[in-house]
Amino acid sequence: MTAAIETTGLTKIYGDKLALDSVDLLVEEGSVFGFLGANGAGKTTMLRLLTGLTQPTSGSMKIVGQNVETAGNAVRAQIGVLPDVPGFYDWMTAGEFLRFAGGLFGIEQKILAARSQLLLDQAGLGDVTARIGGFSRGMKQRLGIAQALINAPRLLLLDEPTSALDPVGRKDILDMIAALRGRTTVFFSTHILGDVERVCDTVAILDHGRIVARAPIHELKARYGRQKVFVEVTSGADALAEEVRRQVWANAVSTGSTGPEPTAGDSTGGTIEITVCDVAAARRDIPALVAARGLGLTRFEAGEMGLEEVFVELVGQVQR
Amino acid sequence: MSGFAIFARKEAVEIPRTWRIWVLPTILLFFAITGPVMARFTPEIVTAFAGDQLGGILIPPSTYLDSYSGWIKNLSQIGLFALIIIYGGIVSAEAKSGTAVLVLTKPVSRASFIVAKVVVQSAFVTLLVAAGTLVTWGLTLIVFGTAPAGPLWSSALVWLVFGILFVAIMTLLSALIDSTSGAAGAGLGVYVLLSIAGIWKPLGDYSPAGLPGQSAALATGAQVDVLWSALTALLLAVVVVALAARVLDRKDL
Repeated sequence: MTAAIETTGLTKIYGDKLALDSVDLLVEEGSVFGFLGANGAGKTTMLRLLTGLTQPTSGSMKIVGQNVETAGNAVRAQIGVLPDVPGFYDWMTAGEFLRFAGGLFGIEQKILAARSQLLLDQAGLGDVTARIGGFSRGMKQRLGIAQALINAPRLLLLDEPTSALDPVGRKDILDMIAALRGRTTVFFSTHILGDVERVCDTVAILDHGRIVARAPIHELKARYGRQKVFVEVTSGADALAEEVRRQVWANAVSTGSTGPEPTAGDSTGGTIEITVCDVAAARRDIPALVAARGLGLTRFEAGEMGLEEVFVELVGQVQR
Repeated sequence: MSGFAIFARKEAVEIPRTWRIWVLPTILLFFAITGPVMARFTPEIVTAFAGDQLGGILIPPSTYLDSYSGWIKNLSQIGLFALIIIYGGIVSAEAKSGTAVLVLTKPVSRASFIVAKVVVQSAFVTLLVAAGTLVTWGLTLIVFGTAPAGPLWSSALVWLVFGILFVAIMTLLSALIDSTSGAAGAGLGVYVLLSIAGIWKPLGDYSPAGLPGQSAALATGAQVDVLWSALTALLLAVVVVALAARVLDRKDL
């Protein structure tokens, strides 16, 4: 099977800044591939190189078996691209933009009209007649995905498609991406681990321009899928933390420093931050521990580990 | 249709649906309408305002040639400055807004992107100059009772060659300079340099620098050989467009 993306020693230097450092990456066709990295890690640079918007300093890259630098339109005809902040002609309507985008691929008018309507309906924009200039960020992102799909691409490249969206907009976009599974290869850059866990098969983690991990998502989740629980009590935080530390589901416990400030006016209260391996057990046991000690519970919140913490788990030992 | 044709159609449709339809057409139409009237009544206006301060100096009555000269003068100054400012962002505005990224990640070459812009905007300028010249011609006929076509249309055509050269130059500058105002400033600088160069007779006779002067001379009814200036201007425009395509091709978007 031809790889959807294959890069070898891909390097990009801007002035004295090394944006990508000898990246070797293989993305199998048909996968939904998450490309994870903190802001400034080099994700957008990678996308810009793959789409021919900038040239590599060294190394090579192939998309569906063709050299990106030399194949030009032959490569572009097979990809769909959504930049992190898509720029549209504000004076067009969504339908006009899709027909314009499809026209650039040379799609026959009859097919284009039908496909445009289908994609607009899928993007929830089928009945919208307003000009794009009046669209919300979420509507623009959905239109962005629709225009990236207008040529039924073999490879869809999405740069942070959910960043800066509200929860509803984020869900809509992730649903659209998930619906593409099996229809096309999706290469999806993001800094949001939860998004990757939700829709991707495989993930690569980029750190300071280098790939530091590449694994199927189920493997990554098994290894690093722990979660955090924040507990804020009115008093007795230190003693409670000691007891929590003894629980089998608690991997790490810290007090005060990383959570919110203790409740005002109560010097003995505080926040406990717990990294857990079994969030269901933690949810069940912590309120019982608080109640047994007769403490007041002012906050009890479970959240996913942030990307930075996963990085620490994954690459903390990597020497730079 | 090819990617070039689709993008060119976008450029054409964008004109009537954005501010572009108002600025340059309004400026040119204003001067096309007021020019002949102003030319006709300038002697009377001057005499009325100056009163006896003219000391017996007689102002000759104006002719249709004054109307023609006024139109070409306005094209060469206000019209060209407006063109330079308007097209300062012809490329950079698309790069800045991100629309160029969406277009150029589809099967459209950067050369097609540049050429389509130059072709459509040159056609737009041609249309405006033709419309303005037609209005000037008609109003001159009404106001002066005579309006021979030759001097007006030949001078407008020569100016048009200069205008198209500047569309090409602004495309190159806008590909080179990310700031719209920066590119416009550079465009004005090029205009000043060409104006100075045109003073030197060899350049004035055989290079694009001579076109404004030749256009003005034609409007007065003089016989002028414009062949070399026009040919070199068109050749330069082609070279400048090729350069703009090359600049954009090497540019990180």
